[in-house]
Order: sequence, then structure tokens, then C-alpha cells
Amino acid sequence: MLAPFARLLLVFACALLSGWAGAAPSVETGHARASLLVHAPEGVKAGGTVWLGLRIEHQPHWHTYWRNPGDSGLPTTLAWTLPAGFNASEIAWPTPKQLPLGPLMNYGYDGDLLLPVRLTVPADYAGAPAPLKLRADFLICEEVCIPEFAELEILLPAAPQALHAPRFERAFAAMPREDAGARASARLEGGALLIDVAGLPAAWRGKTLQLFPENGAVLDHPAPLGQVWRGERLALRAPLSAQRSESPAAMDAVLTAEHAAPGIRVSFQIAGPWPQAGAPAPPDQAPSQSWLAVLAFTFLGGAILNLMPCVFPVLSLKVLGFAQHGGERRRIVAGGLAYTAGVILSFLLLAALLLVLRASGEQLGWGFQLQSPPFVAALALLFALIGLNLAGLFEFRHLLPDRIVNARARNPVADDFLTGVLAVAVASPCTAPFMGAALGAALSQPAPQALLVFAFLGAGMAAPYLAASLFPAFARILPRPGAWMARFKTFMAFPMFATVVWLLWVLGQQAGIDAAASLLGLLVAAAFALWVLGIPARSKTGRWTGIAIALIALGATAGWAWPALRGTPEPVGVAAEGGWQAWSPQAVQDARQAGRPVFVDFTAAWCVTCQYNKRTTLADPALLQDFRAKNVALLRADWTRRDATITQALKELGRSGVPVYAVYRNGAPQPMLLSELPSVDEVRQALAAP
Amino acid sequence: MKRTVTSSLLAAGMLFAGAAQADAVVGQAAPAFSGVDTAGKPVSLNQFKGKYVVLEWVNPECPFVKKHYDGGNMPGVQKYAAGKGVVWVTVNTSAESGDRNAKASAVSGWLKEKGAAPTVTVMDVGGAIGKAYGARTTPHMYLIDPSGKLVYAGAIDSKPTANPADIKGATNYVVQAIDESLAGKPLAQSVTKPYGCSVKYG
Repeated sequence: MLAPFARLLLVFACALLSGWAGAAPSVETGHARASLLVHAPEGVKAGGTVWLGLRIEHQPHWHTYWRNPGDSGLPTTLAWTLPAGFNASEIAWPTPKQLPLGPLMNYGYDGDLLLPVRLTVPADYAGAPAPLKLRADFLICEEVCIPEFAELEILLPAAPQALHAPRFERAFAAMPREDAGARASARLEGGALLIDVAGLPAAWRGKTLQLFPENGAVLDHPAPLGQVWRGERLALRAPLSAQRSESPAAMDAVLTAEHAAPGIRVSFQIAGPWPQAGAPAPPDQAPSQSWLAVLAFTFLGGAILNLMPCVFPVLSLKVLGFAQHGGERRRIVAGGLAYTAGVILSFLLLAALLLVLRASGEQLGWGFQLQSPPFVAALALLFALIGLNLAGLFEFRHLLPDRIVNARARNPVADDFLTGVLAVAVASPCTAPFMGAALGAALSQPAPQALLVFAFLGAGMAAPYLAASLFPAFARILPRPGAWMARFKTFMAFPMFATVVWLLWVLGQQAGIDAAASLLGLLVAAAFALWVLGIPARSKTGRWTGIAIALIALGATAGWAWPALRGTPEPVGVAAEGGWQAWSPQAVQDARQAGRPVFVDFTAAWCVTCQYNKRTTLADPALLQDFRAKNVALLRADWTRRDATITQALKELGRSGVPVYAVYRNGAPQPMLLSELPSVDEVRQALAAP
Repeated sequence: MKRTVTSSLLAAGMLFAGAAQADAVVGQAAPAFSGVDTAGKPVSLNQFKGKYVVLEWVNPECPFVKKHYDGGNMPGVQKYAAGKGVVWVTVNTSAESGDRNAKASAVSGWLKEKGAAPTVTVMDVGGAIGKAYGARTTPHMYLIDPSGKLVYAGAIDSKPTANPADIKGATNYVVQAIDESLAGKPLAQSVTKPYGCSVKYG
């Protein structure tokens, strides 16, 4: 029918037409598939609107960003080429999700995303198909970030298009609601934005909320959001970024409850002067109520420290002191005050040292002294010698020249002061229950507050003695000096030796069995030396011979023992221990990505509370059964020796001592921290919580 | 005795006020840091006292860093700064795990290849320096004045994209900050929102 030439022409025309019409509505960009979709259920009408949408199908684990990408990243941007009169609106962003990345926070999307855009049709639209071109640029990230783009084209026909209606309906449903009746206002206080919101749905009350600010230059995105419900009003506290670069008069934000879409969009004016950019944000004024509670708990904790096995033997020395000087009221009061001074000043010194070291960039935590094997060895030696003295192997009187002995007796007040110092040196690692949180919080406060907390800790610890020394009634309760004292003194040697055993175990954990044996050797040598020195010398030569023997014995043993004490053995393997794996930030991430809940035990050999929990709560068969059933990843972070990664992780959790038990549940970005002496029920509840 | 306690408390407090805050704030003293460079030698902020110091967070795998290095923009700014007597410290933050030597040689090799001219390159393994400065992106830029005060923190320039063609039309905030500081003028922009890939802390 048609001449061959004409047929060819027709084929060409068709090809040309189709090329012009259907260049690419969908492209692979590298790590996503981007498509341009149309939603016009009533067709395209002059003066009306239709919906367009950029669909981004992310590859698994890759994500793109919201209008405020958070701490890093870039939002998706669209550049349209439209026929005259057509206008495309801004993206109607669906409710974003939080994408935490270590200490940073981003906001964005993953999976199958649709970004709707409203297209307005000109009034003189005549019904011709309209070519729409879009260049979409987005930053898509997994571990690395890649800027990808898509050049998409479609021809918009006048006829109704509802092919993608379900997808668009879902996207509309996921958009933050603006008509929810929520009203908000905000003001600035104490380095944070305080937002007051009314009119939130009743179902939201009591739930954990998330705040997504649309302006990314103001708030500290990863900082925890303070939230308090007062009836039907919600008070939010969003800390300002330390490097805030804008001071807007008003802001918009999206709120979600427990990470569920859709959220609710609120707008608020911001009252109050912005802190000078560059002026320091006033130190966090924690409400005085909770500050008093912190101090009260610290005081109580200090008092309880007296009962800890590390402190108890030293306490026994004090008791002896009171008993021996029973009756001399002034001496007792002076002694009590001197002891208190020793304790408080030692705590202050320790705190100041920690703060200075922290300021200079060192990663330290509470209890760090016992992470050093030489320190542990020295402490064990000292306690063993004190124990031997109490047991009667030697008397200090016989060792020291008369001058010094008398000087000590003349200055018993200084002696009490030093006892206080010793007590603190030994007590620091025994972080009693409810001490860990207070100390962690204390070290992160400005220096004056931190020092105050530590002073209170010291006061609490010295309080029983101060009370006993100030109020004669207490002292009167103590029996009069007598024969019983010698027996009591010897009895007190045994808690001392028990502490040495514990320190020996800690040393063994840190530096191996060789170090423990070396220390024991040193103890033998020291005891021998002291005994030799204690033998009453009949002549000067005799005395010097004794000293020489003692020194030789000590020197030789020290030379033999020192390398073992300093050496570091292979890191203690925890892998095979009943399902516990060695902790690392990577291990936590891997387990969470695999969808497993994670239970992290921050522990140390020298932490008595940790060992107690390890043998009671964490060994409970019902709990272990629960762990197995829920496929919980059990990770143990051993802080027996100095470890900067663990110290940093503790700091991020707001703690600076052990034990710390962190439970990471699916769907909750922040871990839940348990108490220092968790009961089996507490752990099971933490795991079971949704 | 009580007086001794109180006065020592006060003295200690006054001595350490502010030293405990680790987050960098423009207008305040820049956090002290110490670390090792790519050759393993120790580096600390103290050794540059009396000079202007620029801190630059870098990650060779980040397209935003590549934007400024492939065309020679960042090396150019580094040479400009060196000409003005400004110390340039390039910092690479990485997770605690991994072979430190391999990381250091990878970073120093890449910088050499791009013709970079920093005074020193610090390997911040574990992220202590990054966290002290609140470094969020690569690149993230800081300028510290000779007295140790942080005077600029934020982006490298005013166009937050990964497109190298945008460098020409953008204001380079670091060059601007250096020029204004050396002229004794207050900075027009002392804090800007940084852009880039996230710093890899973990």
C-alpha cells in the first residue's frame, strides 16, 4: 500500500517521536534507581494541580538525606525544566528518620522513597502533552558518600494517570501532619532551646519523642532531647550547637513519637536573646533539685564506702586509734578533723588531677589508678606490711630511730591526716552503688561543680569518724583500752591480708601469673627484711649488718620481680567464657545491624561490684536462658588495664567508672543503662521492653 | 581547717574553670590536643603557640574533599596560608581499629599525590581530637589565633556541593578568615555550617 520510501519515512518519524517522548523516566544512578512518576487521577486541567514524584529506590544500607541532613550530608535537590507557565513546588518531604553515626546524627531516608512535588498547570493549558525534565542531585551514603544524579524526562499527557496511586497515597500519609492542632512557642535558656508544645495527640503522652529541626545550623543534633510532659503540654529542651551559625527568630520542626511516621510539624517563634556567637554558653544549670539529690547521694555513697573491703582494713586502723586514745577529748576531736581533712583534700586532689589530665586530652576515668600494675603491686606490698605489723611480726618502733618514733607520737594529728589520705587512695576503685553515675556526671561538669561533688564524697566517707570524734557519746561506746586490744589488733590483720589476696588477683589479671608470683616473692623478701631489721641490735656493727642483709634481700628480689611486674601479657581472652565476646564498637555495630539486641558489660578485675554481679546476676540460669532465647549478643569490655577506647565509650555513656551495663534494643538508637547492682528482673525487663 | 578547705576549693575552682569543657566554642580557648603525625612523631597544639593555626579535617575517600583537592583548590589555600606564616594542621580521624601504619601511609601518600602542603598531618585514631573540636564533616575547618583562641569554625567555602565547578564562584571562608585576622578586623563570618561527608569515628 504505502510506497517503500514512505514506509521508511513513517518508521523514522515514529522513532523520532518516541525518542523525543520517552527519553528516560527511570535511571540507575549507581546505588539507587531514580524514577519520575506522575499522579493525576483527574487528569491535567487548566489552572489545576497534579502531583509529580521522584522515586528513589535505595540499595540496601544506602541512604539519602532530608531537607536538614543533620551533622553532615546534603539534601536531595531538584532542578526542573518545564514548559512555560508550569510551576513545580518544593519537595513535600515525608517524615524523616534518625540516622545516627557514632557521635554524629543525620536525618534522612532509606529503602523505597517517594518525594512528592506539586505541579501547577497554567490557566491557558490547552491539553497538549507537556514535556517535563528533571535533574535530581542527591548524596547517597553507606560508609562512603557518593554524589549521584538522575536526568529524567516524561511527557505529561492530559489524560488521568493513577498508575502509582497507592505509592502516592502512602507518601502523603507519611508526610508530617500540619493540621494536628499542635501549637508551639520557644525561648532560649541556659544554652538550649526550650520549646513548649500544646495540642499534641493524647496517644503521644508518655512516649519518647524525637525532634527534627528544619534549620540545621542551630541545634546540637546528637544531643539527647529533654522532654517533660505537664498534663497535656509538652516541654522540650533541645541543646544549642556549640558552633551554632544562625540565630533565627522562628523555626519549624517535625516531631515524631517513638520514631513512627507520620510526625507532626510545628512552627514556633523564638523569644529571648541568643547567646553571643562566640560567647560561652552558660554552664548547664541542672535544676537545683536534682543537684541537691546528686550531692546527697554522693554523701551517702561516701559513708557507705567505709564498708567496702578495700576500705575496711584501713578503717580498722582508725578504730584502733580511737580505742588507744580513748579519753583525751581534744586529741580525739583534732584527730577526727585531721582525718576528715585528709580524706576531703585527697579526693579534691584526685578530682583536680583527673580534670587537669582530661583538659589536656587524656582519656581517663574513675578508678584509673588501679589500672597500673606497679601501683597495684605497691598497694599490695603496703597492705601486706601493715598486716604483718598488726599481726606482730615487727613493730614500727623497733625499725625507726627513736627521733622519728617520738616525732610520730608527738604528731598523731598528722598521722590521722595521712590515714585519711591512705583511705582515699584505696577507696577510689570501689565505686559503691549509685556512685558511678554521680562521678561520671561530676567529671563532665565545670570544674567547681565537679570538685564540690568529690568534696561531698570525702565528707561522707569521713563523716562517721568525725561524728565519733565530735560527740563523746559515740566514743564512750568504745570499750576502755585493755588486753582485748592486742587481740583486736591481730584480728585486724586478716582483713588486710584478704585485701592483699584480692589485689594479687587483680595483678594476676593485669600482668599474668608471673607478676603475681613476683609480687609474692617481694612480699616474702620484705617481710624477711623487716624481721631482720626488727631484731634488737646489740652493737652498731650488728645493726648495720642487719640493714645490709635486709637491703640485699630486698634488692635482689626487686630486681628479679620488676620485669614481670611491668610486662604486659597477651590481652585476656574473654571469647570462650560462656558466650561472652570481647567488646568493640565494631562488634556492637555488627550485632545491631544483624538485628540482635546487645548487652554490654563494662567490667574490671579490680572492681568488686563488677565481680559480684558477674557471679550472681549475670550467672543466673533464667537470665542466661533469656539471653539465648532472644539471641542477645553478649559483649564484655574489660577495663582492668588502661584502654582508651573503653574510656571513650564510658564517657559517651555519661559514666567514668565501672560497672556499667548497657542494653541496646532493636529500634532504640540510644542504649539503656542499668543500675550498678542490677537484679535479674531488672535485666530481663530491660530486654523485654519494646 | 575549714578555711583551708574552702580556700583550696576556691583556688582549685578558679584555676580549672573552663578547662573541663571539651567542646570547642568560637571565641573561647581552642581545646588543647596532642597526637602523632603520619611519621609517628608527636604533635601538640602547644608547639604552635604564637602562630595562627588552621585545622582541616580530611578524608581521601570523601567526594567533598576530592572536590577541593583534585583541582588543587585546597593545596592552593594551604600554600597561601604558609605564605602568610599560618601553620596548617591536616587531621585525619579514623576508628580505633585497623592498621595505624597503613592508614598513615595511605593518607600521607594521597596528600603528596595531590600536591598538598600542610605543615603537619595528624592521625587522630579513635577520634579524641575530632570530638574535642566537634568535627562533623570532611572538610571541617578551624582557625586558631596566636593567643590560642578559636576564631573560625565551619565550612571551607560558601557553596555546599560536591561539584568542583562551584569553587570558582564561592567565597573561601578560610582565606577570608586569615585575611581579616591578619588585618586585625573582626571576622565577617566566624561560624558557618560545615558541609561534607561525616567524620568516620567508628
